[in-house]
Amino acid sequence: MKRYRELIAERVFLLSALASSAITVAILVFMVFMGLPLLKQGGLYQLLLKPWAPFQGSFGIYPMIIGTGAISLLSLLFAFPLSLGCSFLIGSIAPPSVSKWFRRLIELMTGIPTVIYGFVGVFLLVPIVRELFGSGSGLCILTAALVLGIMITPTMTLFFCDSFDRIPKAYLDAADALGASPVQKLLYVILPAAKQGMINGVILSLGRAVGDTLIALMLAGNSVRVAESVLEPARTLTAHIALVIAADYESPEFRSIFACGVVLYLFTMAVTFLVRYLTFSKDQTV
Amino acid sequence: MTPDIKIRVADLNFSYRDRTILQDVSVEFPEKTITALTGSSGAGKSTFLMTLNRLWENIPNAQMQGTVEIKLQNQFRDIYAPDLAVTELRKMVATVFQVPNPLPMSIRKNVAFPLKLSGERSRGLVDEKIEQALKMANLWDEVKDRLNEDARNLSGGQQQRLCIARALVLEPEVLLLDEPTSSLDQASTAVIEDLLLKLKDRLTILIVSHHPEQVKRIADKVVEFTDGRIITAP
Ligand SMILES: Nc1ncnc2c1ncn2[C@@H]1O[C@H](COP(=O)(O)OP(=O)(O)O)[C@@H](O)[C@H]1O
Ligand SMILES: [Mg+2]
Repeated sequence: MKRYRELIAERVFLLSALASSAITVAILVFMVFMGLPLLKQGGLYQLLLKPWAPFQGSFGIYPMIIGTGAISLLSLLFAFPLSLGCSFLIGSIAPPSVSKWFRRLIELMTGIPTVIYGFVGVFLLVPIVRELFGSGSGLCILTAALVLGIMITPTMTLFFCDSFDRIPKAYLDAADALGASPVQKLLYVILPAAKQGMINGVILSLGRAVGDTLIALMLAGNSVRVAESVLEPARTLTAHIALVIAADYESPEFRSIFACGVVLYLFTMAVTFLVRYLTFSKDQTV
Repeated sequence: MTPDIKIRVADLNFSYRDRTILQDVSVEFPEKTITALTGSSGAGKSTFLMTLNRLWENIPNAQMQGTVEIKLQNQFRDIYAPDLAVTELRKMVATVFQVPNPLPMSIRKNVAFPLKLSGERSRGLVDEKIEQALKMANLWDEVKDRLNEDARNLSGGQQQRLCIARALVLEPEVLLLDEPTSSLDQASTAVIEDLLLKLKDRLTILIVSHHPEQVKRIADKVVEFTDGRIITAP
């Protein structure tokens, strides 16, 4: 009896695993299929490297790829030192009672809907950037990247904290007993031991930054031109999809967003495999 | 000839939360001897050692009263006085733990670690001190050809001697060992006991030990802990 139940449970789990992987593959197939007419029309080259000018019949998503890259990488640049500082504070500098509350706060922040960050950005940061740099509307790569950076900081911080927590206590005791100062302990023991986990955290946060739609949509200005500085507006792939999705179903514009989908999809896949690879190689060395 | 006093503990009280662990402990430890700390498990031996290197300060809700003076650089110093940095204290009062705790790096880097902490840059001097410390810990011959290997690949006994070498590299004046052989087999234990007897000429050793035979073999003096108080035997 028990064996049967186990067998059934096993089958059910196998089925759901198969279903979810099938769905993942199906999505890719679907996106490629939907984008196919456009691909046949203009070729991959046109799609990836031409500008976006629908009235001239050019549906390139190249500016959006650049926009996505610029905004997400810049946001990472803001989020990384911020997360490092927060996690140091929680992990070693602050007294236990303070760090406990601070960690709770950060956990809470991961749950705040993206649109709230967007709002704060629109009403607080956009005017500041506009005044400070005196050019444009304040809706630009810099503004979007700053807010995006703040948005992914809690996630990254928690990842960092988790990798600090996983460091064996014996290492910390050794450092303490040998007379390491808190900073030395951090630099020579904690950071090297937590490196792998931190890299994973950075990569996954990058994935989140790339996948986010709303902040870029609200704050980056959505221009389809390739920006020449971080103070110019830009459009990300995700924002592009959101903006074009209202267009006519059969139109080439509409078709092009599937190409965006494929690019995003492949990027996310690459990130996932990178994380897998890093985690795997780490397991081997331990 | 009565040996000079190295460590002077007076009216020491210690508690975790409101649980008293050590009560009115006053004891002195003579210089360049091995003193064994014995007593049943939970009697407060490890806690007592931590009051000598201030390692307990990381533990939340722990409290200590009393004074601990150690003769460092020929002068009695209150180790809790603000003019003695805890990092300096721990370089002169070294600790070896129950379970060997090499850091996740090479053998060489493990022994060099304290030198790195104290800012020693000269490669030649570092290599020289590494060799000296490993020789002192009776480990040099076994590892001299594999200094760049991960220290965690060593056997348990070798790891513990590595930890002793690492503790010795800054030439401390006091060495605290908390049941250093309890996770080791007999042969490794014997090697470490010999090593401690050899080191006794250089520094003051306090060792927590559960084994009466071990105590008999190496200790000059025994301090027994019961119920947070101590009974000193000759
Ligand atoms: N971090 C701690 N927090 C609370 N109680 C502790 C802590 N460490 C040890 N104790 C308690 O203090 C008592 C003495 O512990 P310890 O000094 O480790 O004894 P021993 O080393 O003699 O076995 C034990 O009852 C133990 O449960
Ligand atoms: Mg103990």
